Amino acid sequence: MNPTTLHTDAQTVTLAIIAVVLPFAAFVVNFLVLGKSKASGWVSTLAILGSAVLSLNVFFRVWDSHTIHMQQVWFTIGATKVQIGILLNNLSVLMLVLVSLIALPVHIYSTAYMKDDTGYSRYFRYLSFFCFSMLALVVVDSLITFYAFWELVGFSSYLLIGFWYDRDSAVQANKKAFIMNRIGDIGLLSAIIILFTQFGTFDIDLLFGEHGRVSQSVIFEGFWNAVPLHDYEKGTSLPAIWHYIAFGGILLAVAAKSAQFPLHTWLPDAMEGPTSVSALIHAATMVAAGVFLLGRVYPFFSPEELTILAAVGCFTAFMAATIALTQNDLKRILAYSTISQLGYMVMAMGVGAYSSSLFHLVTHAFFKCLLFLVAGIVIHQIKHIKEDNHLDIDPQDIRHMGGLRKKLPLTFIAAVIAGLALVGFPLTSGFLSKDGILIQAFEWSEGKNILLNIIPIMALLTSWLTAFYVARLIFKVFFGELSLLKTFPSLQIHIGDGHWAYKLPLVFLALCCLFPLFSFNPISYENSWLYHAFALKHEAASNYHLIIPVLVTVVSLLVIYRAYLLYAKREGRIIAETGLLYRISFNEWYIDRFYRRVIVKFVIWLSGAAYWFDRNVIDGFITLLERINLCIAKAAAWCDKYIVDGVLWLAAETVQYIGNFARRFHGGKVQYYLYSMLLAVIAVFIIKLIWA
Amino acid sequence: MNILTLLIFTPVLFGFIILLLPSSMRASFKYITLLATLVQLGLSIWMYLNFKTGAPFAGISHEEQFQFVQKVPWIHLDLGAAGKMQIEYFVGIDGISITLMVMTCLVMVVAAVASWEIKSNLKGFFALFLLLDMAVVGVFCALDFFLFYTFYELMLLPLYFLIGMWGGARREYAAIKFFLYTLFGSVFMLLVMVGLYLSVKDPATGNHTFNIIQMMNPTNYINGSVFSTLAHSTILGMPARSVGFVVLFIAFAIKVPVVPLHTWLPDAHVEAPTPVSIILAGILLKIGGYGIIRICLGIFPDVALSGAFWIGLLGVISILYGAFNALAQRDLKRLIAYSSVSHMGFVLLGIASNTAEGISGAMMQMVSHGFLSTMLFFLVGVIYNRVHDRDIYHFRGLGSLMPRYTAYVMVAFFASLGLPGFSAFVAEAFSLAGAFKSHSTNGLLPYWMAVCGSVGILLSAAYFLWTLQRMFFGKLSLKGGEIWKIALTDISLRETLTLLPLALIALGLGLMPSLVFDKINDSVLALVQFIGIK
Repeated sequence: MNPTTLHTDAQTVTLAIIAVVLPFAAFVVNFLVLGKSKASGWVSTLAILGSAVLSLNVFFRVWDSHTIHMQQVWFTIGATKVQIGILLNNLSVLMLVLVSLIALPVHIYSTAYMKDDTGYSRYFRYLSFFCFSMLALVVVDSLITFYAFWELVGFSSYLLIGFWYDRDSAVQANKKAFIMNRIGDIGLLSAIIILFTQFGTFDIDLLFGEHGRVSQSVIFEGFWNAVPLHDYEKGTSLPAIWHYIAFGGILLAVAAKSAQFPLHTWLPDAMEGPTSVSALIHAATMVAAGVFLLGRVYPFFSPEELTILAAVGCFTAFMAATIALTQNDLKRILAYSTISQLGYMVMAMGVGAYSSSLFHLVTHAFFKCLLFLVAGIVIHQIKHIKEDNHLDIDPQDIRHMGGLRKKLPLTFIAAVIAGLALVGFPLTSGFLSKDGILIQAFEWSEGKNILLNIIPIMALLTSWLTAFYVARLIFKVFFGELSLLKTFPSLQIHIGDGHWAYKLPLVFLALCCLFPLFSFNPISYENSWLYHAFALKHEAASNYHLIIPVLVTVVSLLVIYRAYLLYAKREGRIIAETGLLYRISFNEWYIDRFYRRVIVKFVIWLSGAAYWFDRNVIDGFITLLERINLCIAKAAAWCDKYIVDGVLWLAAETVQYIGNFARRFHGGKVQYYLYSMLLAVIAVFIIKLIWA
Repeated sequence: MNILTLLIFTPVLFGFIILLLPSSMRASFKYITLLATLVQLGLSIWMYLNFKTGAPFAGISHEEQFQFVQKVPWIHLDLGAAGKMQIEYFVGIDGISITLMVMTCLVMVVAAVASWEIKSNLKGFFALFLLLDMAVVGVFCALDFFLFYTFYELMLLPLYFLIGMWGGARREYAAIKFFLYTLFGSVFMLLVMVGLYLSVKDPATGNHTFNIIQMMNPTNYINGSVFSTLAHSTILGMPARSVGFVVLFIAFAIKVPVVPLHTWLPDAHVEAPTPVSIILAGILLKIGGYGIIRICLGIFPDVALSGAFWIGLLGVISILYGAFNALAQRDLKRLIAYSSVSHMGFVLLGIASNTAEGISGAMMQMVSHGFLSTMLFFLVGVIYNRVHDRDIYHFRGLGSLMPRYTAYVMVAFFASLGLPGFSAFVAEAFSLAGAFKSHSTNGLLPYWMAVCGSVGILLSAAYFLWTLQRMFFGKLSLKGGEIWKIALTDISLRETLTLLPLALIALGLGLMPSLVFDKINDSVLALVQFIGIK
């Protein structure tokens, strides 16, 4: 590499580092200097603006050019040098831009949204901290630092879910989120440790880069063999099972962070946080970190493991979509929709649609963020109605809403654009990315086992379900008449789209939901610049390229029309609310209930049992020893008193007795002497007789 | 004068001053104690900064590689035909002791500040406190087994009285339990020590010796002696060296504490006053870990290798068992006591792995836990002092009443549950990495142990977060009602000055683990090699 590129590379890395550290600086300033000042919002916003500008700069320097990797030793442990550094390639700069570009409108929006909250500055502190962790996560180059920031984004999510810490539901939710994420964390940690043992390094580039050590390792005859680092070394080898365990760990990590089955239940509860946070963290960025992780370690997976990924993703997508059909809480619907879309991304990784998965990650970030911001405005306005009229209602319940189209025109338009993008309608970004996934899923399943053919079909079905719940949401919220007016006819309503700080982010994000940002050709995902940069190979065009988009669009239109009749016109009903399917969907497949009633109960029981064991068996044993000791001591004391001392006493008594007895012979009377003499003679005589 | 000796005996000098001062000046005792600990801290930091690293300063089994050494004859008795009795005052430090020593001095400062809460019999308290201070620092520096044992036993006496006289309601029970438990361990240790003494000859003088470093060299053992590596003598039908190892291990395992020898700990902690809890958790437990590394591994490396599986197993059991027990507690202090059992399990697991990663991780965990447990017990002391209650269910929503206090609790909890950025994360991650790697490098521990150990990280999140949720979040509601609400003031300046440095240290060690690793690395490598070559 010549010195000039090295120099510009160093510059690029510096810019990237500044982009990452700016939000942290904002966090520090807010924390140490500003206190409760309202200026904190603008400090954080400026910082993220700076990050966004720098990220774009870095993006254009690195995108589709070369990988930049710089590092230095962090600490040495034994013979292992643990490095800390920056790895900039297509994937990381894309995420860098995405995160900062999504965070920027959310910051602006938040300055208005959180305006009246007492924790305003605390909110921005946390938000800046999150942005720092997330930006750092996408650029770090070693698995150890990756894990560190992976946990830190989880931690900031914990802080923000429990932002209103005096609400019981919020603190239950953040505890649950952190603990479920911890399950994923130990999976990730185990995977990292296995990789470290096998390859002796934490370096992502060295492990997963081109010709990385992972891709050179092979599974052969039940052993997973690594190529040695140096020629003089022997290559390490682990039983093949550890390859699968490492995969299992990564899968757990992805399932926890990206809310995949079976670890998805924290995400709907995480909606207890402020809506702007849900938009940024629990829809657009942090939850996508799992997919990002898959992207980082992609060369690791074997074909069977990819199939498992596809199955998990597909099942999650389907399950979450069915749940979203019947929920009444506005944010919960969106949360399940997020889970479902993340399922698509994981499935796409599994079927080898690497580039489409990342493409969908990007498009989804924009439209889902937009949907959440819309939801935030709607909820805010309903809350206004609630407070103005002193009602006792849940402002997030879509059954209270309706007809908001006229009151909130801009919000409505934004919602429609985002909704169409989510459904995957032509001319939107979602069309490009989602159809890419579906087409490649069908291509993948060709010639495979019949069971595997279910995967693309379920994915297709899910896209129709998506159309239905999106339509239901929009029709219920924006069409018809405001339901509250039916119950409370004398309602006073002063609501509107609000401040520019609400409108600007909506417009910006809505524009990003349309096709031109990604491809000049609105119907072919393969023409997208984003797809191109990651495409591993150029697939031959198949029939699916025509059938799938048409099928998705036409059926979705039918579904939307049905939903229109149902919810906007309020005609007919599709399924009884007492039916089994409805109940399964409404109760979220009873998964969370199962966790609460079986797993959590079991762990608590186990801990109780452990404590009982500790008190009664281990400490009981000690007490028993103590008792036995006491008994022995008492026995010893008795023995001492009655036997040891008794013998002495007996000896003394005997001597005294004999003395007393003998004393009587010395009475000083001659008669006694005579008697005794006589007795002695007789006694001797008798003894002699007996002896003889 | 040797600086190490000065460091060890500084507290006693100040202790004498306290004893000589009349009781009317009792208000000054706490300042004198604080001054003593600060002087000691200053000395230890100076030593830390001047501590030389590199392979020629690795220590472990090479006497000349120790630093700040002082070696003078202490008890030399001519026993006629039985030779000469050679007991030396021999102190010195290497990478294993330096970090623990600095940690000890710092924890002592915090404990001194925490002693502000003591109101009765101040002269006795502070005199015993300083005596204890001398003993614990001495343990980390002593290189003569006799001297080590003297310091080791000397700790017990002040601790017994500190718990038994200034403790809570069941203090006598807790004190005697603690005393008997530890005494049980050390009595047998005495026998092994004598056995070792009789087995080892100083090659230079030809006398029997208590020198720990000479005990590490198999050529110094007399042919046919009890603990000779070649003699294969037996005690009660078991190999003598194994018995020696197990006896020493039990003595130190009680201190660590390792399940099932841990039940003194919750009782002692619950009854002990805050400063004593701090010393117990912060320092005493580390003496167990230090003893295992220095004495058990150093003198019986062959047995340590063959017994590694069982040591690792005990570590994993401690991690999981301690964590489950912590989950079941409703007394905050007891919860933290059990969490100590769990966290110290990582130390054992790391040591058992006999890899550089594992032992470094274990050392880091000891240093990190020293600071974090100090912080945790100090925090419990804060609310206990205010309302004399620690039951988790008697508090709710403290976050809105004591925001700064809650912030520190969150820092301590998250640092303890291994949040990256804090010291415990690096420590636990590398203990586990070492444990996993062990099978590939030396075949000591099976792979599954590390995986099981990592479940402990999950459980620690569960019990700490559950506690946060129950005590600190939600709507404010206190068992003691308005009276408690008035009593529960947010933390004072003195308390902040104690907590802030601890939090910063935990953070600093997490961001720059090299602060510890740089100092210990050579010694750890030497230790791994030393054990491996046997």
